[in-house]
Formats: sequence, C-alpha cells, structure tokens
Amino acid sequence: MFNLFKNSKNLKPLPSKSKEEMPHSKLGISYKEWHNGHVDKHKWRNRRWAVLIFINGLFILSFALDLSMLEGSLSGSRLLGFYLMDPYNALQTISISLVQGHFPNLTMNFWIGLVTIVLFYSLVGGRTFCSWLCPYHFIAENLEKLHNYLVKKRRIKEHTYNQSIRYVFWVGFLILAVVTQQLVFEDLNFVGITSRALIYGPGLILIWIFIIMIFEIVYSKRFWCRYVCPVGATYGMIGSVAPLTIKFDLDKCGYCTDCQDVCLVPHELWFVKKGKATKEIHYTGNDCTKCGLCVDICAGEALTYTIRGLDKL
Amino acid sequence: MSKNKTELDRRQFLKAGTIAIGSLAVVGAGAAYLKSNKKNDIPATNFLRPPGAIDENVFVAECIKCGLCVQICPIQAIKLADVDAGLDYGTPYIEVREQACDFSCDSLQCVETCPTAVLDFKQFKEVGEKAIEEYDAKMQGKQMSKDYNPFKVQIVAMKEQVKMGMAKLNTGTCLAFQGKGYEGTVREDDFQGVNRSPYTNDRKATPVADKKYNEEICDICVKECPIGETAIVMEEIQDGNGNLIKRPKVLDGCTGCGVCVMVCPTEEPSIIVEPVNA
Repeated sequence: MFNLFKNSKNLKPLPSKSKEEMPHSKLGISYKEWHNGHVDKHKWRNRRWAVLIFINGLFILSFALDLSMLEGSLSGSRLLGFYLMDPYNALQTISISLVQGHFPNLTMNFWIGLVTIVLFYSLVGGRTFCSWLCPYHFIAENLEKLHNYLVKKRRIKEHTYNQSIRYVFWVGFLILAVVTQQLVFEDLNFVGITSRALIYGPGLILIWIFIIMIFEIVYSKRFWCRYVCPVGATYGMIGSVAPLTIKFDLDKCGYCTDCQDVCLVPHELWFVKKGKATKEIHYTGNDCTKCGLCVDICAGEALTYTIRGLDKL
Repeated sequence: MSKNKTELDRRQFLKAGTIAIGSLAVVGAGAAYLKSNKKNDIPATNFLRPPGAIDENVFVAECIKCGLCVQICPIQAIKLADVDAGLDYGTPYIEVREQACDFSCDSLQCVETCPTAVLDFKQFKEVGEKAIEEYDAKMQGKQMSKDYNPFKVQIVAMKEQVKMGMAKLNTGTCLAFQGKGYEGTVREDDFQGVNRSPYTNDRKATPVADKKYNEEICDICVKECPIGETAIVMEEIQDGNGNLIKRPKVLDGCTGCGVCVMVCPTEEPSIIVEPVNA
C-alpha cells in the first residue's frame, strides 16, 4: 500500500527485453504481423463518449423537460434527490465562508454532496471526471486531433510548459477567492461555463471559451486542461489513492509506443518506452483520465483497466 | 545527466510559474476593478435576487452558480446572469417584468434547494413552524376536522417573510392616479409570463396574456398581488372637490415579488420593484 506513493520513476530501469522475450516471438509470428494484427476498435472511446453524452444529456433534459433526474450543473447538482458538489468549487466556498462567517450556514446537503463526490472519485480515479464527464474535454479531445494534424503538417509548432504550474493556479485561484471575496475562478471555469451553457443556454461568456480553444489549436495543445484547470487538479489529488486505474504489463508490451501517441496525458505512460520501465507492472498516476484510448490501441493488450489490489488475486 | 535534467525542470517550472502568477495577478486586478465598479454596472430594478437572498456581498461570494434554484422554479422566474453582469456571471436573478415570482410553488423550494444557503431557508422554516404551532393552539381539538390545514398557514407565513425588494409606484404614469380604468389584456398577445391569480381557485399559474380585465379604476396590481392586503391596497381618499378617489398604495408587507410589475398595463410599468440588496 505504501508503494502507491513512492515514485517508481526514480528507480533503476529494468533491462530492455531481448528478442525472445518480445510478445510476437512468443506467438511465433513476425513483429509486423503482431502489430498489424490488432485492429483499433474504439471500444472504450465509444463507451466513454456515450457516458459523457448521456450524463450531459440528462442534465439538459432534466431542465428542458422538467424530468427531475439530474438537476443543476457540474458545479453542483442533484441526482434523484442526492446532492453532488464540485470539490474545487466547494473548497473555495468553504474558504470564503470561513472568512465571512457564513460557514455554519452551509447546508447538510452541501456536505453530503461534497463527501459523496470525494468518496466516489477516490474509488474510480479523480480525473476520470475529465474524460468521462467534462463537456469541455469532449470538445478539446477532438480539437487536439486538429492540433496534432497541423503540427504534423508543420503549419504550427508545439509549445509545452511544465505541468506543475497547474498547482500554482490551484493555490492562486484559492487565494484570489479569499482575497476578493468572490468566486473569481467560477467566472473562468471551463467545466462550469460549458455545463451551464449547455443546460441554461449559451451566453457571451462563451467568447472566453472560444479564445482558449483557438489558442489550444494553434499554439499549445490542451493548454487549459494541462496547465491551468484547478478542477482537474483537484480531481487528480482525490484520485491519487483510487483503486480503479490502468495497469501496464511489461511482459506483453512490444515497445511500439502507439499508446503514447494516442494518450491525452502522454507523460503518464512514461514506462512504455523501451528501457524505461522500472517494474514488471506499472499503474498510471494522478493525471491519467482513464479514458481507455491506450487500452483500445494496445496490440498486445499490455494496458488494461484494473482494480488495484484485486488484480493480484 | 539526471542533475542537468532536474535543473532544466526547475528552470522550466520557474518560467511557467512566473507566467502563472502573472496571469493570476491580472485576473485578480481585473476582479478587484470589476468589484469596485459593481454598483454602477447593474440596472438595479431588473436585478432582483430570488427569495431569501442573504446580504449581497456574501451572496456573490458563496453562490456556486449551480442553477438548482433555476431548475426547481415551476414558472421559471429565476435566470442566471450572463457575463455582462461582470463578476456576478452565473448568479441567479429575477426579471420581474418578464416573469415575476408569484409564489405558486407554495413552498419556496428555490430557497430550500440552495446547497450553500445563500438563499437562506432557516428563517422561513422558523416562521413556518411557529405559524403551525399558533394554528394548532387555535385549532385545539379540531385537528381531525376537514378544515384543518396547517400547510396553508405555513406557506402564508413563509411567503410573508420574503423580502426581495419593495414595490414603488410611479404616480405620474399610473392609470389609477389619473382616474383611468383599464379594459382588455395587460400585455402583448405573445407575452410568456404566468401568474396564479389570488381571486381564482387555480392551483397552477396561468398565462397573463389570457387574462382579460374590465376595471373602472385600474386596480390590476392590487387584484393580482399574491400577498394581499398587507402588501398593496386600493386607498380611498377624498380629493379637493369632495369626490371619493381610489388609488393603489404599497404597504410594508410588500415582498418585492414583482407580480404587480408584470401585470401593469402601461407601456413602461408604472410600478417597479427596488431590490433590498442593491
């Protein structure tokens, strides 16, 4: 259990596998046959998009048709009467309320909603929220393909930053909320804005979303999600102990790195490159959104969904 | 190699971190600027907060903009502000001329649903319970009879506790002040607003555009007021010539629900609601 928090990246890498140890040799076929024998089936992507569209559709229909199934928005909602709260939003609210003295007035529903969300995502992996629920992710995931195409055609250059600045923004927006006594981040929050625009109708605020969308296409890939979004960062922290995650089995890996090419957070798959893995089994970390793109594409089925702790039974 | 990489990482982080802190400072300065200019930005008369709204400064800080109050309102009186409201983007408000709060939900459910209690239900719960207690004391022994209905007493007490704003008459344009009556419908035919008229036994709100009036002296605001005689009455006074004249008068019991504004037949409403928070 304690190994969970130890960074296996700093361990000494295992030696690369010999030709005999490669999965295609074990099957007695050529590498090309092995690699081409796998058809990218989009199984998990289709499931994920179905879930994302279903949940957001449920929000929209609940309001449009007065269904009372899933009301509110992704900032705070009520599922069949049970409240659910966005954790970063709740954290800002709690911080401000402590300063303003509103804290004792926060309702029991608020606390139930917050605890439910924290418990749920600490089981299924925090940033699972991003790829399975966030409406902006759905847009950005497809814009990313356009961006990749432009980079490939050499129309634009790729710009990357240190991903840890997400935590600078995380702390910064929290401080801003307390100092200005206003939920400043909620005026910029992509999750909340897109969710509200879908449910309650679009507004001028969407101009802000379009600006960043264009920036993400022509300048820096997934800029908001990777370097800014404190909502995703909060979910990442909650999910760091999650048992549901992606498992990498070195034994089945053919070093093709197709998975890293499709991965939305490629740094989480650092261990798939030849000679990088430090253990026979690796699990993806906090930033992994459990989107399943790597699971779909892996020719040797080395990457699979797993429940940590139960997989060894 | 590893040391160089760490050094590179550190420098990258410092560079990106500086950009991050810089942009946060810009956002903070922008927020501070918008906050200091806030009062002038919003036309006070159409930015009424829903029932039970606490002090505006705490309200805007603690409202998480989830929209649950918008969803639960059966007549969709509550809307979420767009970005032209500045920092108040996403906070709920009622535009009474378009759709006033007519209390036809009979439960103040927007207040009850609010998770952060910026619409504070505690006060309503207290007065509601107190009203039932008093009612029970009065109805001692008659609890089994058909007339016993504590919920009606409770909701009356609760809605009288609401203080969103205060109606104010424009005596210059008000038809009654000119001694005029009114005949026909009050708003254009395609007007979407609804309300439950207190003089009917309707359980639900009905379209304002369907209601026809024929008033000798215009008293539509008084007729449609969901609160009744503690909020607005037709005042009868003698004018200089000894004639009896009638005109509406807003009383302290006004909750600021805005039904009077919605049903006012003049082009520009002759009665407006001034929010208590603004």
